[in-house]
Amino acid sequence: MAAIRIENLVRGYGRIEVLKGLSMTVDDGSIYGLLGPSGCGKTTLLKVILGFLAPGAGNVDVKGTIPGSDVGYAPQEIALYGDLSIAETLRFHGRLHGMTSDQIQQRESWLIEFLDLPPASKQIGKMSGGEKRRVSLAVALLHEPGLLLLDEPTVGVDPELRARIWDHLETISQQGTTVIITTHYIDEARQANRVGLMRDGVLLAEDSPLAVMESQSAESLEDAFLALCKREVKA
Amino acid sequence: MNGGRIYAIAARKFASLRRDKRMFGFIVLMPAIQILLFGWAIGGTPADLNVVVVDEGPAERSAIILGHLEGSDSLIITTESNLSAAIEMVEDGEHWAVVHLMADGTIEMHLDNSNQQVTNTILLEVRDAMQAASGGTLPLTIQDPVYGDKDPAFIDFLAPGIMTLVCFMFSTILTAMAFVGERHDGTLDRVFAAGTQPTEVLIGHLAAFTAILVGQVSVVIGIAVWGFDIPVVGSIFLLFAICLLLGWAAMCLGLVVSSKAKSEFQAMQLNMPMLFPALLLSGILWPVQALPGWLQPVAWALPTTWTAEACRSIMIRGWGLEAEGVWMAFLANAIFAGIMLLIASRTLKVRS
Repeated sequence: MAAIRIENLVRGYGRIEVLKGLSMTVDDGSIYGLLGPSGCGKTTLLKVILGFLAPGAGNVDVKGTIPGSDVGYAPQEIALYGDLSIAETLRFHGRLHGMTSDQIQQRESWLIEFLDLPPASKQIGKMSGGEKRRVSLAVALLHEPGLLLLDEPTVGVDPELRARIWDHLETISQQGTTVIITTHYIDEARQANRVGLMRDGVLLAEDSPLAVMESQSAESLEDAFLALCKREVKA
Repeated sequence: MNGGRIYAIAARKFASLRRDKRMFGFIVLMPAIQILLFGWAIGGTPADLNVVVVDEGPAERSAIILGHLEGSDSLIITTESNLSAAIEMVEDGEHWAVVHLMADGTIEMHLDNSNQQVTNTILLEVRDAMQAASGGTLPLTIQDPVYGDKDPAFIDFLAPGIMTLVCFMFSTILTAMAFVGERHDGTLDRVFAAGTQPTEVLIGHLAAFTAILVGQVSVVIGIAVWGFDIPVVGSIFLLFAICLLLGWAAMCLGLVVSSKAKSEFQAMQLNMPMLFPALLLSGILWPVQALPGWLQPVAWALPTTWTAEACRSIMIRGWGLEAEGVWMAFLANAIFAGIMLLIASRTLKVRS
């Protein structure tokens, strides 16, 4: 069953067209890796899915009430209040989602350990870029939403933790959470159930990572993407 | 509308405000300084004005007039026997006026009329002196006034207006930049992703800033009333209430700015031009009745006009909520706040 189905989506800002007839399908309870260079329209696509941007043309079907409490969103910008501590940040977002203090407390302890965060009392403005990004991810995971939209969550995160994050995403997707994750570390998306290779406002390919690599007889996703780009340029 | 989300936003904003100690002090200190400056700078009587007297009048009469002029705090008297020399002293810019006491008992004046308030002050003193010399009083008696002081000071008229202006000004500034940054750094997107409505964001911010507003209004009223010893005939609670309501109306206006501005710098720029109409059209410095007819409706569309008038009625006339001028002010502020809140919630969109 599809959690998100998009057909021929067109959307831009003013005269600039960013999404140029994009179609994608995200299965319920799966991880979807949205790959592509910056400026290709990934963030715009996420904003359409979130309901922040109305489609210019085409169909967008998203399961559930969006925006709403069943969404966890980690924007590409860190998007945290620098003057708050980790605890205050989690309390704020927990309250927005109607969580009780106990629930927030429990998730806080777990997230701090899982994401290797500094102590809860530490002010976000005083953290490193990587730490901030992990807090941003913690905020998205906090209320255990059914749909997770993660825009470049692994930038500046060390490989060991990156692997742990992917493992966690796999676990929760098996429990029914739908995850869309954008990244430009293309090969980390091998763990995704499906990847969409995006370039210049459309998907060049959409399939399981293995199928994409096989279709291009490539050794890695990165190489497959490169082959697809070359073919696109020729055409 | 969801109370939990509003509370979350208010609590978060308040935590930020409390943390920023310098800002917190600034927010309370600035209105205090403003109102002190207004009180000291505007409405006082000019002092130590240099005036030349050329005395050619009857000795007895001149003595009384000179005595009166020299006794005035406003004037510093120099005498000069030659009229043209005296006029030259005014031409030099060292003196404001020549008071020429004529042989027939009349007075001729030669004025540097470049500053109306200075001229008025000098003329008033000269008139008083003449009246003293004539020994008579005008056939005009001013009984105890129905409202106000028998000898009203300009500051009594000015103080309610200035209180209004300072409350308005600083409340607008308070919210004008409230979430300009948040709109652009992604934090507000995150809040919206949770299903939060724009109105909830706006009300949450209003609630957090109300704590500061209460402090500001208290400081402003405190300084005006006790610092400058302005009598309050009516209820001081009512005065506090109307100033607080104006503060809310102004914060709602600030929220409109905050939801429109592209940057904090732009928010400042949008904020500035709103202060002048409030200052000039609200009967704060000069009575609204003196405005040209076509500007009258504009003046009464401003919440500050109603509030200044209501403050004056409460402070000087001692009117209560039952008086039209007072309850209309409450109504006008509430309507203004409502309209601004509506505009802000339409501007601050989740979806575009």
